[in-house]
Amino acid sequence: MSDRKEFSLNKNMISTAVYPIFFGLFILLLWETEALHKIIDADTFTLPVPSRIIGIIAENLPSILKNTKATVQVAVGGLVLGSLLGYLLAMIATAFPKWGKGGLTIVSAFNAVPVIAIAPIMTNLTKDFSRDPNLRSMLAKTLVVMLLCTVSMSINAFRGFNELKPFSEDLMKSIAAKPASVFFKLRVPNSVPYIFTALRVSVPGSVIFAMVSEYFAEYIIGVGRQIRENIVLAQYATAWAYIAAAFVIGVTMYIILLIFENILLRGRR
Amino acid sequence: MNKKIWFKTAFILIVFALAVSPLFASGSQEDMVTTYYDADASVESIVVDAATKGQVGNWGIGNEYEIQALLTKYGQPTTYLSQAFDMDGFDDDSILLASAMTYNELGLVKNSYDGGYGYGDTVSYIDMNDEGVAMLEDNIFCNAEFAAENPETVKAFVYASMKGWEYACANVEEAAEIVYNYGSSVSAEHQLYMAGEIKKLVETDTKGNTVTEYGKIDKEAVLQSMELAKTYVKLEDSVAAENLSNLTIGDLVDSSYWEAAAASNGDFDVEKSEITVQLKWLPQAQFMGYYVALDKGYYDEVGLDVTVVPGGGDIGETTAVYTGQVDFGVTWIANLMAANAGGMDLIEVAQVFQRSGIVLVYKLN
Repeated sequence: MSDRKEFSLNKNMISTAVYPIFFGLFILLLWETEALHKIIDADTFTLPVPSRIIGIIAENLPSILKNTKATVQVAVGGLVLGSLLGYLLAMIATAFPKWGKGGLTIVSAFNAVPVIAIAPIMTNLTKDFSRDPNLRSMLAKTLVVMLLCTVSMSINAFRGFNELKPFSEDLMKSIAAKPASVFFKLRVPNSVPYIFTALRVSVPGSVIFAMVSEYFAEYIIGVGRQIRENIVLAQYATAWAYIAAAFVIGVTMYIILLIFENILLRGRR
Repeated sequence: MNKKIWFKTAFILIVFALAVSPLFASGSQEDMVTTYYDADASVESIVVDAATKGQVGNWGIGNEYEIQALLTKYGQPTTYLSQAFDMDGFDDDSILLASAMTYNELGLVKNSYDGGYGYGDTVSYIDMNDEGVAMLEDNIFCNAEFAAENPETVKAFVYASMKGWEYACANVEEAAEIVYNYGSSVSAEHQLYMAGEIKKLVETDTKGNTVTEYGKIDKEAVLQSMELAKTYVKLEDSVAAENLSNLTIGDLVDSSYWEAAAASNGDFDVEKSEITVQLKWLPQAQFMGYYVALDKGYYDEVGLDVTVVPGGGDIGETTAVYTGQVDFGVTWIANLMAANAGGMDLIEVAQVFQRSGIVLVYKLN
C-alpha cells in the first residue's frame, strides 16, 4: 500500500517537475543555438543568447546583488507590512460587520488604482521624511507595495473570518463560547488558507510593484530601474541580466511561500 | 454579547495608527528652511553647495552625462537625484540645482502661462555650453546599411528637413502654430516660447557663434561630446564598454549626405519614397523643422512621403531605427554611442542642434 503511494507520488513528481524542467531546458537550448530567434523573428541584439546574459551577470555580480537587495528589501518590507495591516483591517471589519463589509469594498477600490499612479504620489508625500534620498525613496516604494498588498490580504482574510463551515458558528454559540473564543478558535484557524490565497497574489505582485515604483523613485537603485536605464541606452544584454535577476527574485519568493504553505497547511487538504 | 475584545482591538489599532502616523507627516519643519543663491555667486560655489547637500537633479536615462561632467569639473561626486518630468521637485526645494532644457522646463519655471511656475527673474541657471561640458543633442540618424543602400533618400530627407528648419527659424510664430496644430503636448504659449529657444539652439554653436548652415556637423563639437560620453557613459556589459571606448568619429558620423544635400538643387532620385521618422519626444517645437517641412510640402517636393512618429517617455528611438520599424530617428550623440557600443550600426547624417540645451536652474535669494 505504502509502496503504491510512493510510486504515485513519484509519477506525480515527474509530471509536475521533471517535464517542465525538460521543457525549460529545451527552450534554453533553442535560445542558445539561436533557433528561437528564427522562430519568433528576433535578433541577438534585442534578445541576447543565455550564455552572454550569464556572462554579464558573472561580471557584474556585486552591482546586480546591490540592486537585487534594494528590490527585495522593498518587496518583502511592503509585503509584510501590507499583509499585517490587511489582516488587521479584516479583523476590524469582522468585528463591526455592519460597516466592515462596505469599508472593505472601498479598500478594494485601491486595487483598481494603477501602481504608476500611486508611485509618484508616494514619492511626493515622503519628500520631507528624510534628508537621505535613498531612505525616503525606500519608504515611498515600500508604501506603494504595502498599500497594494494590504488590499488583497484584507479582502481574503475577511472571507476567511466569515466563510465558516456550516453550523460551526452555531455550534460555538450552543456551547456558549465567548466571541473571543469564537474568534481565536474558529475564525483565525479558518482564515489561514485564505491568507495563503492572498499571499499567492501578493508575493509575485510585491516584486512587480517594487520594480515599477523604482521608476519613479528619487534614488536610482533597484532591478526594475536598471532594466529601464539599460533599455533606454539600448544595452539589451545588460537589461536581460537584470530581467534574469528579477525572475530569480520572483521565483525564489514564490517557492519560499509554497514551502511555508506546505508546512502550515499540512493535513488540511 | 462580550464586546470587550472588539474594543481592545480597536484600541490597539488606534495606538498603531498613532505610532505609524509620524511616517506620513512632514519631517521637522525647522531644517526645511532653505537658503538659495546670490545673483553674483560663482558657478563653482553653487555647484559645490548643491552637490554637498545632495540636491542636484537630473532625469537620468542618458541625460545625465553633462551634469556629471560639470560635477567632476568642480571636484564633486557624480551622483544626482532622479528628477521627475515636471519641475515640482525644484518648486518644493527638494532639488536646489535642477536640470532643465532651455526650451522646455526652463520656460515652465520662468513663465506663468498654463503649466508654468512663474518664477520669472527670481531664478538663474548654469549653461553647459559656457562651462565647456556641452554635448550635442538632437540630430538625424539612420542605419548605416540603410544609408548605403538608399543614399538619394537620405540626401533628400536631409535636404527637405533642413529647408523645414530654415523656414521654421525664420518664421518662429508660424512654426509654433504648425506644430501646435499637428497635435501638441503643451499649450500654444509654451509652444511659441519653445520655438524661440529652439531657434537659438539651431543657429548658435557651443561657443556662441552664429551658424548659418542648418544641420552642419561640427566635428569639434562631436569630438567633445564623444570624449565626455566615453568618460561618463557607464556600461556594465564589458563587451559594450570596450566597444564604446574604441568608437571613432567615423563609426558615428557621416557628413557626406549632409554635404551633398547642401550642395544640391533639390532634385533627388529617391530609392524609397515612403519614409518614417521617429522623434525623441512628444510633438513639440523641439521638432518644428520636420513638422514645417511636412506642412509646407518640402518632403513632397523631393519625392518623399514622410510620416512623423512621436516619441515620449521611454521610447527607444535607436532601437526603433535599428529594428527597421522606422527609417530615421532623432536622438542625442550619447544615445547613439551607447547604441553602437551595444552592437547597432547607426550613423548620424545631420546635426540639427548646434549647442547643448541643458541648463541647471537655481533660485535666487
